[in-house]
Amino acid sequence: MKRSCGADTLVRLLAIKSRRRCGRPSAPRERMHFAGKSARATRVLLIAIIFLPALAHAYAGPGAGFAVLSSFWAIFVAFLYSFYALMTWPFRQLFRFIRRRNAYGKATFERAVILGFDGMDPDLADRFMNEGRLPNLAKLRDKGTFSKLRTTFPAISPVAWSTFMTGVNPGKHNIYDFLARDTSNYLPFLSSAEIKGPKRHIKIGKYSIPFGKTQIKGMRKGTPFWHWLGNAGIFSSVIRVPVTFPPEKFQGVLLSGMCVPDLKGSQGTFCLCTTRASGDKFREGGVRVPIERKNGVCHSYIPGPDSPLAEKAGTELRVNFEIRPEPGLKSARFVVGSEKFALKVGEYSEWIPAEFKAGLGFTAHGICRFYLKELSPEVEIYVTPVNIDPGHPDLPISHPVTYSIYLAKLFGSYATLGLAEDTWALNEHVLDDDAFLAQAYGNHEDRERMLFDALDKTKQGLCTCVFDTTDRVQHMFWRYLEEDHPAARDVPHSQHPPVIQELYECMDRLIGRVMEKIDDDTLLMVISDHGFKSFARCLNLNAWLHQNGYLTLKDGKTESGDWFEDVDWSRTRAYTMGLNGLYLNIKGREKQGIVDAVEVEALKAELQQKLNGLVDPASGAVGITGVFIADNVYRGPYTENSPDLIVGYGAGYRASWDSVMGKVTGQVFEDNIKAWSGDHCIDPRLVPGVLFSSHKFIAEKPAIVDVAPTILKLFGLALPAHFDGKPWTLAAKAH
Amino acid sequence: MSIAGQAVTIAAFQSPLLNSPLAIVVVLSLVVGLVMVVVFGYTSDQKAIGVAKDQLKAHLLAVRLYRDQIPVVMGSYGKILRGTGRYLKLAFKPLLYVIIPITLLIAQIDRYLGQAPIPVNAPFLLTVQLDGNAGLNDVTLGLPPEITITAPPVHIPAAHEIVWRLAGSKEGKYEVKVAAAGQSATKCVCVGGDLPRLSIVRLRGRFWRRMFSSAEPALPENSPMESISINYQDRNIEIAGYGMNWIWLFFILSMIVGFIFKELLGIQI
Repeated sequence: MKRSCGADTLVRLLAIKSRRRCGRPSAPRERMHFAGKSARATRVLLIAIIFLPALAHAYAGPGAGFAVLSSFWAIFVAFLYSFYALMTWPFRQLFRFIRRRNAYGKATFERAVILGFDGMDPDLADRFMNEGRLPNLAKLRDKGTFSKLRTTFPAISPVAWSTFMTGVNPGKHNIYDFLARDTSNYLPFLSSAEIKGPKRHIKIGKYSIPFGKTQIKGMRKGTPFWHWLGNAGIFSSVIRVPVTFPPEKFQGVLLSGMCVPDLKGSQGTFCLCTTRASGDKFREGGVRVPIERKNGVCHSYIPGPDSPLAEKAGTELRVNFEIRPEPGLKSARFVVGSEKFALKVGEYSEWIPAEFKAGLGFTAHGICRFYLKELSPEVEIYVTPVNIDPGHPDLPISHPVTYSIYLAKLFGSYATLGLAEDTWALNEHVLDDDAFLAQAYGNHEDRERMLFDALDKTKQGLCTCVFDTTDRVQHMFWRYLEEDHPAARDVPHSQHPPVIQELYECMDRLIGRVMEKIDDDTLLMVISDHGFKSFARCLNLNAWLHQNGYLTLKDGKTESGDWFEDVDWSRTRAYTMGLNGLYLNIKGREKQGIVDAVEVEALKAELQQKLNGLVDPASGAVGITGVFIADNVYRGPYTENSPDLIVGYGAGYRASWDSVMGKVTGQVFEDNIKAWSGDHCIDPRLVPGVLFSSHKFIAEKPAIVDVAPTILKLFGLALPAHFDGKPWTLAAKAH
Repeated sequence: MSIAGQAVTIAAFQSPLLNSPLAIVVVLSLVVGLVMVVVFGYTSDQKAIGVAKDQLKAHLLAVRLYRDQIPVVMGSYGKILRGTGRYLKLAFKPLLYVIIPITLLIAQIDRYLGQAPIPVNAPFLLTVQLDGNAGLNDVTLGLPPEITITAPPVHIPAAHEIVWRLAGSKEGKYEVKVAAAGQSATKCVCVGGDLPRLSIVRLRGRFWRRMFSSAEPALPENSPMESISINYQDRNIEIAGYGMNWIWLFFILSMIVGFIFKELLGIQI
C-alpha cells in the first residue's frame, strides 16, 4: 500500500529529526491511557507529533517554515562565503606575491593600534598620572613614550584629524575650520562635505519626484594613510575618525565620524517637546515642539528632514508620537510608530527607529533617543537629533556600506551623527549635567564595543578608533576644574563634581583593557589632536573690527544680525566667522571686496600688529597671544581657501559665540556663562595634544602631522614625497 | 481535534464557496498564515529572536567584510552555527504552541485534499492485512451491488496480506464487508464526487497512525485484521499547468501570507 500524500516529502525536507523514523516498516502498537495522566500525555503527544513521520505535521505553519528556512539560508550563505574565502585565499596571496607585495615583509609590527582621545590634554594627563589616577597611561609613559604632540593651525578637530590621516598641512588637505565661507555671499558652508539633492525632478500632480542620486562630495583633499596601507595589502579598521564622511573606498573597513550629518542634514538638531508655552527660539542646535494634551494622552512629533517630494522647500516630514503618563506621574508609556516603550522621569530610551514617510514609497530612516524630563506639572521630553539609521543608512556612513549595518546588527543601533554628544542641549539647559553625561557615556560604551570588535577582527594591520567623549566632556565641564569660572559661579567650588578626573580615569581603564588584548608585536599609540584650556571670556573680533574701523555697519546700525546682516560691505575691509579665521574683503575675490591686491600684505601686517597682544581691559590679561599670516603657516594647492589670518586666542579666551556666527555686537570682551566652558580653538602653541605609545620613539617635538609617515615607515612602506610630517624613530623593540 | 474544530472544518468544506481545492488551500493559507504569525508573536520572546537574527546577519556580514582573514572567516562561521542553534531554540517554544492545532488541522484537511476518490469504473485495490497467516485463505468480501471484483484476490503470505482488485460502477459512498476467522468488519469506499472525506485505511489499535491516516473507527481489538486499506490516488492541484500536492501549495502560500503579515504586524519570526 502506498502511504498517503506528498507531505512525506515535506517531512523529509523540514523535519530533520523525523528522519530517524522514516522508512521504519511498521510502528509498534501504541497504547495510550489518557485518563488521569494528562500532563504526561501532553508531553508524549508533543514529542510524538514532532517525531512521528506520518503526514505533514513537521510543517507547523509559517513560523516553522521561516525558522527552518532562515536557519538553512544562514548556514548555506555562510558556507558559500566561507568556501569562497578559503578557495580564493591562496590565489589572492599569489596575486600579491606576483605583484611583490609581501605586505608585512618589512613591517616592524604586525599591527598598529591608534586610539584617538580627542582633546586629551597633556598637562591634565601628567597631573592625573602624578596623582596616581591613571596607572595604565603611566605604564605607557614609563615603558614607551609620553610627550606633547604639536597640533595644527588652528587647533580645531577637523583640521587636526585631517592632518593626522593625510600627513600634510591644511594647505594640502583644504580643511581650515568646521565652516568655510562662500565668497559670493559671505555665508558659511560646511567645510568637510557638500550634499546636493538630485538635479532633476519630475512633477506628477502634487509631487515633485527627484530623479537621480543625491550627490555627496568630500571636500577634504589628500589621501589618508590607510589608503597607502591598503594599496600595499595591509588591512585597516578605522572607526569614527573625524572628516571621513563621505567614506572613501580602500582595503579595510571604516565608520565615518565627526561631520556626518543628522537626518535633517544639520550637524545635530535636538528637539524639546513641551507643554510649556514659549516663543523663545534656541540660539542654535535645537527646536521647540508643542505637546498637545487630550484626555490624559499627550501627542507630539519629531521634526524630520524636508520632504523630497514637496514642490516647496521647507516642507518638513514628521513622525508623530504619543505619551501616556502612568498614574503617579513618575513614568510614561510611549508609542512611536510600531515601537512601544516605557520611561521613568530622568531616563533615556534605547535608540528608537523613526521612519519619515514622504509618500510614494519614499522613506527616510532615522533613529533617536527620548529622554523624559518632566511629567508634572508640565510634560517635557527631549529628543536627540535624528541620526542616520546605521542599520538602514540612507546616506553612506561607512566603507563598505555593509560595515555600519554589520555593527548595528552585532551591537544594536548606535549614534552616527558626527557630533553625537548634544552639547547644545546642555548649553541651552534642555539637558542637565547628569543627562548629558549619560548620553555621552552611552555613546562611549558603543564606541568601546566597536573598538574591541575591531581589535578581535584585525589581528594584522591597522586598527584606529577616535573617542569624542574626552573632547565633549572637557568642553562642557571645564567650569568645574576652576575656582571662579563664570559658568560655575552659582556652584560652590567644594561642590564641583570631579567630572574631568573621572573622564580621564575612564579613558585609562579603557587603555588597560586594550593593553590586555595586545602583545609586543602590536604598537599601541594614544594620541590627541589638541589639548584643552579654559574658556572663561569671549572675544568678539567682529566687534573689535567694527570699533577699529575695519568693519562698517549700515547707517544707523550699532549691531548686526547673524551672518553679517546689516554689514556694509562697501566699507568693510576685514571680517571674521568661524573659530579662528580672519578674512580680508579683497577686491576680485569677495563679491563686494574693496581691498586692492596691493594693500593686502600691508593690511595683514597692520591687523597682526594691532591684534597681537590685545589686552582684556577687565582683567589685564592678554586675549590674543598670536596672529599668524596664513601664507607663513600653510603651503599647498588649497591655500587660496584658507583664512588670511589665523587668530590665536590666549588661555581663557576664545572667539565669542556671536563672533563665530558673523555677528557684530557692542562689546568686545564678555564673560562666557555657557556650560561650554573649556576650549582649544586658541593659540595652537598653548594646546598641544598628547602622544603615548607602548614602544619608545625618539622624536624632537613630535607633531600630529608625523603620525601618518611614522605608521607607513613602521609597516615598511616608502613615504609619499608630498608628506609634510617626518617619521619618528623607534628606540628599540624588545623581544 | 476538538469537535467544534472538526465541525468548522466540515462546514467549511460543505460551503458552496469552497468547493474547489485551490480555493480551500488559498483561504486556509490566509487564515493559518495570519493566525500562526499572531500566535508566534504572542508566545515568543520577540526581542531575543530579533537579537538572535541580527547576530546571525552580523556574522554573515563579517564573513564578507573580513574575507581575507581566514581565522575571522572560520570564527564567524562557527558563530553562525551557534547562532543558528540559539535561534532555533528560541523559535522552538512558540512552535510548540502552534504545532498541535496546526498538525491536527492538517491531518483533517488531508482527509479531503490529500487523495482523490476512486473514479467511476476505474479499478482500485483493497488490501486486508491480518495479524498472521492463519485464515489468510478464508478471508471473504461482501460487496454492495455497485462494487464488483474485477480480478481474483492475490495472497501475499510474507506480508499477511490479501489484495482484491475492485471497481465501482456508480458514484457514492459504500460499505465493503470483510470477514475473517468468524469476525467481520466494514471499510468505507468512496466512488466519484468532488471533495468527499476519505479514509485510506481502517486500523486496529495504532492510535497515532489512525490519528493521521484514518477517518474511521478502529477495528475491534480482538479482530484478526490489522488493517483494511484502499489505494486512493494522490490528488494534485493544478496551477499554471503544473500539478502539486496541496501541502506544497499550502506551504508556499502560508509562507507568503506569513511573511506579509509578519511585516505588517511587526512580528519577528
